[in-house]
Amino acid sequence: MNTETIIEAKNLKRFYQRGIETVKALDGVDISIKKGEMVSVLGPSGSGKTTLINLLSCLEAPSEGTLKVNGKDVAGLSEDNLVEVRRGVLGFVFQQFHLLPTLTVTENVELPLLFLGKKPDPKHTQNVLEMVGLGDRRLHLPKELSGGQMQRVAIARALIIEPQILVADEPTGNLDKKNSEAIFDLFRKLCREKGLTILITTHNLHLGYQADRIFTLEDGKVVNIEERK
Amino acid sequence: MNNAYVFPRYVVLALKNLRRRIVRTMLTVAGVALAVAVAVSLGGFMLGYRGAIDRSIDMLGFQVMIMAKGCPYEAATMMLKGGSGLLYLPQDTYTLVRKDPDIQSITPVFIGIAQKEGSGIRGNDKAEKNFSIISGVEVESFQSMKPWLKMKTGSGHDGGRWFTDSATKEVVIGFEAAEYEQRKVGDTFYVSITPAGGVEPVRHEFKVVGILERTGTQDDGTVYMPISAAQEYFNRKGELTILGIKLKEFNMFKMKDFEGRWLKLPSVQVVGLQQVKNTLINLVATAQTMIAAVAIIAVIVALIGVINTILMSVYERTGEIGIMKALGARKSDIFELIWLETLMICIFGAIVGSVIAVVGTGAVETAIKSITNLGVSGSIVQITPSVIGYAILGAVILGFFGGLYPAWRAASMRPIEAIREGGA
Repeated sequence: MNTETIIEAKNLKRFYQRGIETVKALDGVDISIKKGEMVSVLGPSGSGKTTLINLLSCLEAPSEGTLKVNGKDVAGLSEDNLVEVRRGVLGFVFQQFHLLPTLTVTENVELPLLFLGKKPDPKHTQNVLEMVGLGDRRLHLPKELSGGQMQRVAIARALIIEPQILVADEPTGNLDKKNSEAIFDLFRKLCREKGLTILITTHNLHLGYQADRIFTLEDGKVVNIEERK
Repeated sequence: MNNAYVFPRYVVLALKNLRRRIVRTMLTVAGVALAVAVAVSLGGFMLGYRGAIDRSIDMLGFQVMIMAKGCPYEAATMMLKGGSGLLYLPQDTYTLVRKDPDIQSITPVFIGIAQKEGSGIRGNDKAEKNFSIISGVEVESFQSMKPWLKMKTGSGHDGGRWFTDSATKEVVIGFEAAEYEQRKVGDTFYVSITPAGGVEPVRHEFKVVGILERTGTQDDGTVYMPISAAQEYFNRKGELTILGIKLKEFNMFKMKDFEGRWLKLPSVQVVGLQQVKNTLINLVATAQTMIAAVAIIAVIVALIGVINTILMSVYERTGEIGIMKALGARKSDIFELIWLETLMICIFGAIVGSVIAVVGTGAVETAIKSITNLGVSGSIVQITPSVIGYAILGAVILGFFGGLYPAWRAASMRPIEAIREGGA
């Protein structure tokens, strides 16, 4: 594992206004993630793990605190500026796959390249699809795939831009045990072989404990950090 | 869309998005198509009607008419298409006016409406209100006014000629009248005329001595006979319907002078044909305004339909839009994608609507003519490439503005909120 820090957050806070009440979704989190590290964030519902991962992946801005992603200070940036930080650096996988139903597997996977103005390289697409185990499904439509396969397409879509950080928010939430373990095996492989930094949130403790470091959150605060050898 | 590679991909992506709800997309396209079809037909009608008026009036052969005082609209329409309630002026007027030094040529015309006799050729003759426009003319002056009138030749038409001014039982009939009655040179033409002061129509037989070639004007449906014979049959000796006049020099000032000289005659009006053109255009202006209002309403309804469809599509794809933004799509990318979808619906609608308008030209023309007598012959709906071009341009502008709000809504979505709302 590389010792270079790719994400560094200090005293990260995120407040939401719900009517007259201010909700502290995240209340002063310090976190540092190294390149090539696989990190999981665990915690009960409402503990703030999704908020934390959203902030670390520049999907939203913190209310307070400092945050550096890939060397850039991103705290206080607007959405227009955050997207520039995300482009080409961060890949995302969510619980819902949100594949475009009228596009083939290949077209779905290559979609992010369109937004980056890059012409797809069929060989690269094929390699990515083979990496996620879908080399023979490239012309299929999403409706012709199983849930596990659709999540693999979503992972391939995140990987096509060769991101430095892969962010997965409950990636196995809609999958059975077998497919969930297969997806985590894939993450570990990507981390080990490609040096990809991976941030995962999950409810599944068994899967979460397969990461290099495990952050446990409660009420918007990190209450435990474990490191696996 | 920053390069030549990206744009076609956006087009494909937009097309595939539209295909997802094909029925809804097609219904929206149909709404736009309907609005465009109405707009194209209206544009074609406005253009075609002006052209038809120009053509019909130019083919009258003269620039100025002198007629009995009355409604100039009715007189103008009468000259072009026939009608009822004709007014007459004394033949002395002809004797006086022909001496005017500014006149190059002048022809007296007597117009009467006769009832067609059932020829037995068409089974529904009795069921229809069939009338013939009888035009009494002085051959030499009439021919000099309309040198393009030629006798038809060929099988059944050889030997066609004009009648002499003293003939009483001879007629020359226009192309369409001959076709309708299936008459040839030498055939008998039957017509019933109600003489002035009489109640019952009197049946007359005439010999067809000539059939005119097609002109595409009111002449095609007219039956010509010597002016003295026409006056006799209609019991209006010494009366005329109009004097058709060509001036040596025709301009606004000469026309004013001429008008000033002859308006002093009692019961006479001098009508310039430009005035007739304007009159006829004004006659349908109200109807055109109403049709235009309907077209505008159709366009507004179509626009609302387009905005509604695209907005629904945007809301349905909230999660996907969130994912796209998370994956690196800028606001401008999402805006352009949604905007492109709107434009495509409008362009498809414009193309389909134009095709419908072109294919339905005949039906529109028949419908308009059945509703009202527009006073002209020939085609009154003329759909040109420029009319279609304007319609497509209008649809693009429609799409341009219609797409702004949905595209802005989609582009403004914050990725994480969109993903959350979309069920991620």
